[in-house]
Amino acid sequence: MLNLNASDTIDRVVNLSNQQQTYVVRHEREKVVSATQGSEDGLFDPALPGLTLKERLCVALYACLLTPAPELATEYESRLVRLSANAQTLTHIKNLSIQAIKDTRLQAMLNFTETLITKPINADKQALLSLPQAGLGTAEVVTLAQLISFVSYQVRLAAGLKAMRALENQS
Amino acid sequence: MSTPVHIKGFTNDTLSWKAWLDVVQLEQATPAQMAVLEESHPKAKESDYYLFLVHQPEILRQRSLAFNAIMYAPGGLSRAERELASTVVSRINGCVYCASVHAQRFEQLAKRLDVIEQVFEEPNGAGTTARERAIVDFSIALTLNPDHVNAESIAKLKETGLSNSEILDLIHSIAIFAWANRLMLNLGEPIFPSL
Repeated sequence: MLNLNASDTIDRVVNLSNQQQTYVVRHEREKVVSATQGSEDGLFDPALPGLTLKERLCVALYACLLTPAPELATEYESRLVRLSANAQTLTHIKNLSIQAIKDTRLQAMLNFTETLITKPINADKQALLSLPQAGLGTAEVVTLAQLISFVSYQVRLAAGLKAMRALENQS
Repeated sequence: MSTPVHIKGFTNDTLSWKAWLDVVQLEQATPAQMAVLEESHPKAKESDYYLFLVHQPEILRQRSLAFNAIMYAPGGLSRAERELASTVVSRINGCVYCASVHAQRFEQLAKRLDVIEQVFEEPNGAGTTARERAIVDFSIALTLNPDHVNAESIAKLKETGLSNSEILDLIHSIAIFAWANRLMLNLGEPIFPSL
């Protein structure tokens, strides 16, 4: 069997198949595998009230571009394209020119994303309070913070597994 | 029991944490929110951190499942070494609260604090053995430059005796603190004990 587990984003993005030792080692920690995918599914659940799915995907894409995490950026971009996201907004995000985005609520979220991804120590009370000022309710702030923080986890998990797979392929 | 350590703004003191926005009031919590609090942490109902995150219960539930599986599962990397990696990541990200909690846990498990003092002083090059230094180095690299981590980074860990299962646990421990630190740093602030 060579089929990749299409429903597991990490396996798919890192290109892990069940014939690889890295895959086998990863799946010995099945609770972590399922909670990682479960977190992603929860954060990108179309039915989650508050932030729209497009807003959440824009945040994830921008976080991956800033890290940088090219494979996961491609993943989130393709999901945005499938949802027919605004092409101009996408271009601004891909050019890292978010100040050109006219939607001030999205811009506030992306500014917050940038602080949290690149300089988490600078994420002070003022940075957080900019979100309610842009119209986000408390539950939406929680979603946004969890989303950015989850992507910070996901990109490092993918990068670590990719390195393990690379060493495995050398031997 | 433990020697107080205060180095460069980091400590092993017991700190509290206060949210900057409104937390869920227990008497108004839904049954779903109460269930998630109960399975997240023994003291979640008294903690601003959990009472704030439980505004989104399903997301908190999955996060707690991941966190607890990564930090407490038996086998693989020793729990002390997972706590060391968590403390290094927290030191690098500047999360004083997380660093204090995981410095304490390291000491409880390893019965020593020497490497934690080194990490607080200067994380680069910290470690009392070649294996510890490799764990610290990798924790810094995956935290600061995940895109630069490669096969050679993994080979260096293997040279000091880490198995594939231990390396996976190490990656998980580092990555989950990219998550935890960002929540602690951006949603509230630590409260220091008054002397």
